[in-house]
Amino acid sequence: MPSPTPSEPIIEFRGIHKAFGAKTVLDGVDLTLRAGEICFIIGKSGAGKSVLVKHLVGLLRPDAGTITFHGDDITDYTERDFYPLRHRCTYVFQHSTLFDSMTLAENVALPLRKHRGLSHPDSLTAAVDYLAKVDMQRHAARRPADIGDGLRKRVAIARALTLDPEVIIFDEPTTGLDPHSAVDVDRLIRALSDREGVTSLVVSHDLRSIFSIADRIVMLYQGRVRLDGPPAAFRTTDDPIVHQFVGGLPEGPMEL
Amino acid sequence: MAEPTSLSGLARDVWHQTTHTLSVARQTAHYLVRRPYDTAAIWANLYEVGVKSALFVVICLGFLGAIINLQGGFQATRIIGDASLIGGQIMPLVVRLLGPTLTGMMVATRVGTGIAAEIGSMVVTEQVDALRMNRAAPAEYLIKPRLIACVIMVPALTTLGITAAFLAGMLVAATGFGTNPNTYADFDLVTGYDLAEGMIKSLAYGIAIPIIAAAAGLRARGGSEGVGEATTQAVVAASLAVIVLDFTIGGVIFFLR
Repeated sequence: MPSPTPSEPIIEFRGIHKAFGAKTVLDGVDLTLRAGEICFIIGKSGAGKSVLVKHLVGLLRPDAGTITFHGDDITDYTERDFYPLRHRCTYVFQHSTLFDSMTLAENVALPLRKHRGLSHPDSLTAAVDYLAKVDMQRHAARRPADIGDGLRKRVAIARALTLDPEVIIFDEPTTGLDPHSAVDVDRLIRALSDREGVTSLVVSHDLRSIFSIADRIVMLYQGRVRLDGPPAAFRTTDDPIVHQFVGGLPEGPMEL
Repeated sequence: MAEPTSLSGLARDVWHQTTHTLSVARQTAHYLVRRPYDTAAIWANLYEVGVKSALFVVICLGFLGAIINLQGGFQATRIIGDASLIGGQIMPLVVRLLGPTLTGMMVATRVGTGIAAEIGSMVVTEQVDALRMNRAAPAEYLIKPRLIACVIMVPALTTLGITAAFLAGMLVAATGFGTNPNTYADFDLVTGYDLAEGMIKSLAYGIAIPIIAAAAGLRARGGSEGVGEATTQAVVAASLAVIVLDFTIGGVIFFLR
């Protein structure tokens, strides 16, 4: 895994616009992500958090604006051009998206076969090692339907780790988890950053999780960045919109 | 997928759907001629498309054969007082038109909706995105096995359906109008062009239906409402494609005769 200089910008979104039909979701978003940091994207439902991060790996394409990764403009990459980038930036989906027809080991082995070209038996052996990193090796032969949400999330993280990525995008990693499992996932994200230098881009509503592990928080509101700063900046801000969101206040100026 | 609010909006939607479907067809063609072939998925789809549709096709085409022989027999008896040649009159129509086209319609409704709903559900639950993140193209993993199954099974189902229509028609002609089964089964009026037309049509439907249905599924957005909309789009577009292909292929073969 490459070890970029700390605080070196590795991802830059510039003036990202995205609309679905008549609905504008992103209206000129600028965001720079630095190596090794854990950056949370927050905002109310429908604010465009997941939409923004999906642009980084080509799952969505911007209507306008540019995205660079290590200085390379990836805005107009083809689906095939994105393959190597998806090796370096992996994605843990909100609902884990494990394939029900495969065992947990087969789910984790899939990127090893497709991205790394490992044979089926070799990929399964390696998959068990990756499952061990999230303490799931004893469940390798089970299927996703046989385990709970928290364990499925761990397997999804193991699948994301198989490619030794530089960046992992976590889409609402603690949503729907019991408090114990949520803390487990938080610790895992923190450990990946501290021990392996992984840069994490985390979409979340979970304020407990955000304020316990974030290095930086970016709040999206009405298609733009409302506030970008460390957790302390969100606690002390005078911005009434941010204050209402972070305080979880039902009354305030925020348009719901 | 928002509802278009004007004629120009509708035209834009149709244009977008058409170009997207052609793009899906091009991507699938790319993977169709390349290894690997997921034999387990192909067998599963052969079963899903062929075996599970067989009874539906046999019953529908059987009734169709019975109905047109009943109506044709009434007319023949009323006008010329003789229904002995009814088999030779009706079977070319069944072989080149009704057999393949009605089978195509049935596959469009039963199999096409299934493909659109399954792929649409995978899109809205981000499983298609997960495939793409794992370097697995949806055209290769989801569409290729379904296309191969339909290309094999639609002509097979058509043959089965025509056979059912023939046997049911013969039964009605023999019991209702006293037609000799040997006379009914005189295929002198069924030409090689009729057989070729029927098989070319069924092959074309076998290609068009899974591509159109899969493309509709891939366009699904939102939640269950989006999947429902994609399913409706799939059955409408696939049925329309069956009719347009029927007319086009029938017209080309008519001029080639």
